Amino acid sequence: MKYSRFMIAVLLCLSLAVGANAQSSDSPDSSEYLIKAGFIYNFAQLVQWPSTAFLQADSPIVIGILGTDPFGGIIDRVIQNKKLEGRSLIVKRLKRGASVKDCNILFVSSSEAAHLDEVIQSTKGMPILTIGEMPGFATRGGIINLTLEGNRVRFEVNIEASKQANLNISSRLLALARIVPQSAEAKRSE
Amino acid sequence: MNLQNLSIKRKLMLIIMLTSSVALILSSVSFLIYDLMSFRRQLSQDLMTQAEIIGFNSGAAMAFKDEAAATATLSALKAKEDVVAAALYSPKGKIFAHYFQANKSLPSSLPLRSQESTYRFEGGYLQVFQQVTMNGERVGTLYLLSDMRQWNIRAKRYTGIIVIVVLICGSLALLLSSKLQKLISKPILHLEDTMRTVSSNKNYEIRATRFYGDEIGRLIDGFNTMLSEIQLRDTALQRANNELQTSTHELEVEIVHRKRTQEELLTAKQAAEQASRAKSAFLANMSHELRTPLNAIIGYSEMLEEEMQDSGKISNVLDLQKIQAAGKHLLALINDVLDLSKIEAGKMQLNIEAFEIASMIEEMVTTLKPAIAKNANEFQLRMPEHIGTMRADVTKVRQILLNLLSNACKFTDRGTISLDVDRLRSAGQDWIRFRVGDTGIGISAEQQENLFQEFAQADISIARKYGGTGLGLAISHRFVQLMKGRITVESAPGQGAVFTVHLPVQATTEQVESARYVEKVSSEAAPEATPDADTILVIDDDLAVRDLMSRSLTKMGFRVVAAASGEEGLLLAKQLHPLVITLDVIMPDWDGWTVLNKLKADSDLAEIPVIMVTIVDNEAMGRDLGASSYLIKPVDRERLVTLIEKHRASRFSTAAKTSALPANWSSKGQKNSRKPEAVGPRRH
Repeated sequence: MKYSRFMIAVLLCLSLAVGANAQSSDSPDSSEYLIKAGFIYNFAQLVQWPSTAFLQADSPIVIGILGTDPFGGIIDRVIQNKKLEGRSLIVKRLKRGASVKDCNILFVSSSEAAHLDEVIQSTKGMPILTIGEMPGFATRGGIINLTLEGNRVRFEVNIEASKQANLNISSRLLALARIVPQSAEAKRSE
Repeated sequence: MNLQNLSIKRKLMLIIMLTSSVALILSSVSFLIYDLMSFRRQLSQDLMTQAEIIGFNSGAAMAFKDEAAATATLSALKAKEDVVAAALYSPKGKIFAHYFQANKSLPSSLPLRSQESTYRFEGGYLQVFQQVTMNGERVGTLYLLSDMRQWNIRAKRYTGIIVIVVLICGSLALLLSSKLQKLISKPILHLEDTMRTVSSNKNYEIRATRFYGDEIGRLIDGFNTMLSEIQLRDTALQRANNELQTSTHELEVEIVHRKRTQEELLTAKQAAEQASRAKSAFLANMSHELRTPLNAIIGYSEMLEEEMQDSGKISNVLDLQKIQAAGKHLLALINDVLDLSKIEAGKMQLNIEAFEIASMIEEMVTTLKPAIAKNANEFQLRMPEHIGTMRADVTKVRQILLNLLSNACKFTDRGTISLDVDRLRSAGQDWIRFRVGDTGIGISAEQQENLFQEFAQADISIARKYGGTGLGLAISHRFVQLMKGRITVESAPGQGAVFTVHLPVQATTEQVESARYVEKVSSEAAPEATPDADTILVIDDDLAVRDLMSRSLTKMGFRVVAAASGEEGLLLAKQLHPLVITLDVIMPDWDGWTVLNKLKADSDLAEIPVIMVTIVDNEAMGRDLGASSYLIKPVDRERLVTLIEKHRASRFSTAAKTSALPANWSSKGQKNSRKPEAVGPRRH
């Protein structure tokens, strides 16, 4: 009895908290991308790049957004004034076909779904953390794919792809991720 | 029960138990407190570490808002039993994930001080707040709540252990103390027991046993030494007691013995006194019996002699004189014997009075004249003209001189008898010296030695030749001693003898009072002159005495009235108011003392002088009852007349002073007073 009553109280508290969170956002989308922008920042914290990835010790971590920018200015606000191990973060917006080699993180927008294989192919062999938000992104050779489970943002990690990109992903990040394997087609494409 | 009156055994145990228990409990409790404190610190440190790990592990989940992952991380706390609840708060203070054991609740919001990593103890719980960070960035707060179960368990267990340890140690201490206290209490208890035994049994041979060489051991040694000392003294005391008892017993025996002796002595004394009384009574009787006939013999022979002389029958006169002399000799003997027995019995008393020495000597010489004339001796009296008076027993002085002078007459034939009287002063005192000298046969030196002893005449033959009892000198000697004088003799055979008597002018004896009394009487004896101033009342039951007194006094010119009993005498005295009353003592019905009492009790008669004329020799009694003079039968007439004259003279002299008396009273008194003097020499 006590237990169930307590559970009800706890659930009530949680739902209230979530509701408050939803209310504080401008719109469901903007709220979603605020979270996703935070995720991207968090990923940056839990991923280790090889030293060859940066020219200098204080070279900024470059976040490239390929295709249609779903964040608006949100991501710029999130990373504003933030530093990771002495590196600042900067955002670059890229058009299809533009060079991605300067990027350390590459967010592939849903607008590029039709050209996904090309994009993944273009990052091959480079220490670039690829992040997408479309089904099958990770299995097709992307490293991290953001998904929605209900109204919660979760993510999938392709450990094989991260190893091919020479990126070391923290176990703490992996503990939270859904690990997905590389599909046979993607392997074949290699 | 008073703690101080506990037995030493219990005290010792109590001390040991209390001390050890307190020490044990104090140390255990302080250890417990220290342990629990440090354990609590350790617990809090552990929990902090735990919180750090969980915080670190949940950092990513917090960052990615992965509630499931955070909840899973918190679920790891299941292994920690004492963590009853845990929660992860978002930076805004909202609960992000939680974990709890049954029955435990979570605070709905974070406390104010949740901004730091800290811990606190509250209400028996340990609360820990831990900041959750991601690369130095705060992503949330971890909250852990521990019920400190381990600490409580440990506290309970340790308390239990301590209680058990204290109990076990207490029991051990009890056991040990009950054994070890004997080290101290046993000798003391033994000592006390010994002391009680000694004091209750009074047996000082018991000794206390010494167990150890400590202070109590020394105490026991001291006690034993004391006991030895007491035993020694006790034994000594016992011995002394025994000796005392023995000597007491001896003393008792001695006392019994002495008591018996004393009783015997007392009986003997009583017997002796009885005998003495019998002797005295006998003597008194005898003297009475002897003197009464002698009284008659001498008195009547005198009367007859006078009558014969008057009628000129000279041959009869000589015979009568012989009878008279024999009677007087016999009377002298009886008197001497009586005097001596009285002296020996210590009953001789002195009647001190003041008297004219000259008149006493003259009177005596008159009496002696026949004795001097007997052996054709010459008498010389040498005496200063104003020799004056002396205070002494005049009767005794007279008797002493008569004895010496009559002895001198007796032992001197056709010689000279001398009497020298003078006053002298020696040894700070005034003396009268009488010296009686003669030219007689003298006394040898050997004879002189026993001269003053009773019944010791110079020679037995002397008694036959010269007569006498041989008591005269002894009696004189005793009288002189009584008056504190002395008597000496100078003589040689054939050279005559000189007896010297020294007597103090003022005799000092215990009987001064009677002397004073005499003076008083002489001054009192001054009744107013009455027509019966010449009347003499004679009270005597003996017809012979009445007759003799009447005759002789009538001849002297007195009117004599006689009474045969005290009663009659008293009546006559009231009627006549006589000049003088003579009174006998031994009479039927009223004796002389009774009559004297009645006379003195009657104010009319009290002043009439009473002369006791009796055989009873108790002058002191007479004086005490108020008699003026005391004469012992047979009466010396000369003396009786002298006394009567004296009383009359004093009465008239007083009367002359107090009132103007007619001349004829005075002349009459002179006539009467002269008369005895005229008659006296003629009688002897």
